[in-house]
Amino acid sequence: MIRVEKLTKDYGPTRALDGISFEVKDRQILGFLGPNGAGKSTAMKVITTYLAPTDGQVTVEGHDVTKDPIGVRRKIGYLPETNPLYTDMRVDDFLDFCGQARGLRGNTLASRRKFVVEACGLGRVLKKNIIELSKGFKQRTGLAQALIHDPKILILDEPTSGLDPLQIIEIRSLIQQLAQEKTIIFSTHILQEVSSTTDRVIIINNGKIIADGFISEIRRDLSDVTQVRAALGASRDSVERELAAISGVEGVSLVGEVNGSVTVELRTSRGQDVMKSVGELAVKNQWAVHELSSPTLSLEDAFIELVRRQTMGKEARHG
Amino acid sequence: MGSVFIIFRREFRSYFDSPIAYIFLIVFLLLTAGWYMTAFFLMGNADMRSFFGNLPLFNLFFLPAVTMRLWAEDNRIGTMEMLMTLPMKSWHIVMGKYLASLAFYGLGLLGTITIPITLTMIGSPDMGAIVAGYLGSFLLGAFFLAVGIFVSGLFKDQITAFVVSLIVCFFFYLVGDGTVAQTVDGWVSGVGSFLQRFVGLTTHYADIQRGVVDLRNLIYFVSMSALFLVLNTLALEGRRY
Repeated sequence: MIRVEKLTKDYGPTRALDGISFEVKDRQILGFLGPNGAGKSTAMKVITTYLAPTDGQVTVEGHDVTKDPIGVRRKIGYLPETNPLYTDMRVDDFLDFCGQARGLRGNTLASRRKFVVEACGLGRVLKKNIIELSKGFKQRTGLAQALIHDPKILILDEPTSGLDPLQIIEIRSLIQQLAQEKTIIFSTHILQEVSSTTDRVIIINNGKIIADGFISEIRRDLSDVTQVRAALGASRDSVERELAAISGVEGVSLVGEVNGSVTVELRTSRGQDVMKSVGELAVKNQWAVHELSSPTLSLEDAFIELVRRQTMGKEARHG
Repeated sequence: MGSVFIIFRREFRSYFDSPIAYIFLIVFLLLTAGWYMTAFFLMGNADMRSFFGNLPLFNLFFLPAVTMRLWAEDNRIGTMEMLMTLPMKSWHIVMGKYLASLAFYGLGLLGTITIPITLTMIGSPDMGAIVAGYLGSFLLGAFFLAVGIFVSGLFKDQITAFVVSLIVCFFFYLVGDGTVAQTVDGWVSGVGSFLQRFVGLTTHYADIQRGVVDLRNLIYFVSMSALFLVLNTLALEGRRY
C-alpha cells in the first residue's frame, strides 16, 4: 500500500510536482504516464526516499518517507531510470553485494539469487563482467537487483527504455508475472506499454495528475470528445470549407488526399449529429463517400487530448 | 557494523578490479622508498627521518588519487541512487568507503616496511622514532583521505575531485609551515601563527614524527578526519532536499 498525499517537490525555483495525491493498493499495478520531464521520475524518487518531499506526505506500507526512510527502503525494490550498475563487477558478485546490502545472508541469499537469476534469465552471463553485457542483459541485471530481497513493492522507472521489441515483450511479461504478488509502479512515456501491461494508469503532466483511473474510465471521461473521420470524393477546398461550417464541428484537420478522395478528421462533441450532417452534405453536393466513421479514442488520442486540455486551461487562467 | 563491512569489502575489492591499484602502489613505493634511498646513502644514518619528512608531499598527490573515485564514480554512473535507497544509514556507507581507502593506504605503508627491516639488519635504528613516524603517517593519511572522500562527494568528475582535494589538503599543509605563518603574521599580526597552531597540520605531524605522541596531536588528526567525514554525511543527507 502506497499513499501519496498532496505531494509537492521543488528543485530550487522549479516546481517538479505540484500537490499530487494518489493511492496504490496491495497487488495493484500502476502505470505512470506522461511526457518527458512531467514529474514521473521525481515522484518515484520521493517514494523511494532518494529525495525528500518539499511538502505533503508519502507513506509506504505505513512507513513515512521522511520519518522512517529506512523502514520504507526495506519494503521497496527500485530500478532507477539510469540503471545503477557497478560495471566493473561480475553479475554474480554484484547480485551478492546487493543482496548482502539488503540484509540477506547464507542460504537465503543463495536461494534468492537463484530465483532472480532464473526469473530474469541471467544464467548465461552470471560470470561475466557487467560492462561486457548487452543493453538488454544490463536492464535485466538492474531488475534482478531490484528483486533480490523479495520486496513487497517494486518501483520501476522506464524499465523498457532502450530495449529492442523482443526484450520489451520479455520485460513486460516478467512485470505482469510479478504483479501477482507485488505492488508495482512503473513509468513510461510509451502509451501502448501501459495498455498492454496494466489497467490502472495515472497521467502526469507539468507536475500535476491530469487523469487517474482505469484506461476504460479515462476513455469514457473523454467520450464527449469524438472524432469523425470522413473520406470524400471532392476537392480539398470545398470539403474543408463546407465541413467546417457544420454546426458542432470544432476543427477540421486534413489527413490525406489520394486519387481525388480527401480524408479529413473532424473534432466535435456531438459525434452522431455531425456524422448525419456530413452524410446529408455529401448527398446535397453529390460527393462520393469513401469512408464515414467515428473511431473510438485510442489511448494516444486520449493522452494528447488531456495534455491539450491542461495546457489550454492554464492559458485561459493566465489570459 | 554489518553494513559498514559490506560497503567496505566492495570498495576495497574494486580498487583491485582495475590495474590502477597496482600502478598506484608501485609508483607510491618507488617514489617514497626510492627518494629515501638516495638520501640514505648520502647521509649514512640508520634512521627514517627523511622518509617521513617527504611523505606528506607525496601523500598530497597520492591520497587524492585514492579517494577521487569514491563518490564521483557513483555520481557519474548513477549507482548513487541505489546506494542511497539501501536500508542503511548514510554514515555507514561513508564509513565503509572511507575505511576501504584507509586500508588501501595502509597497504601502501605496509609495503615500505622493508626499509626498517633493512635498517635493523645493517645498523641499530631507534625503533621508537620509526613506530612514531608510521603512526604520524597513518594519521596524516587518515586526514587527507577524509578530505578527499568529502570532496569526491561534491563532484561527478574524478579529475575535478582530485584537483580540488589536492588544493584543500595543500592548504592545510601550507598554513602549518613556519615560513608561511611568518609571512601571514606580517600581513595581519597573529593570524599566521594562529592558523599554524590550530589549522595547519605540519607542526602536529612533525611533533609525532619526533616521537612526541601527545594527546593534542592525536586529537588534531582524529577530529579533523571526523569533521570531514561528518561533512560528507551531511552533504549526502542534504542532497535529498
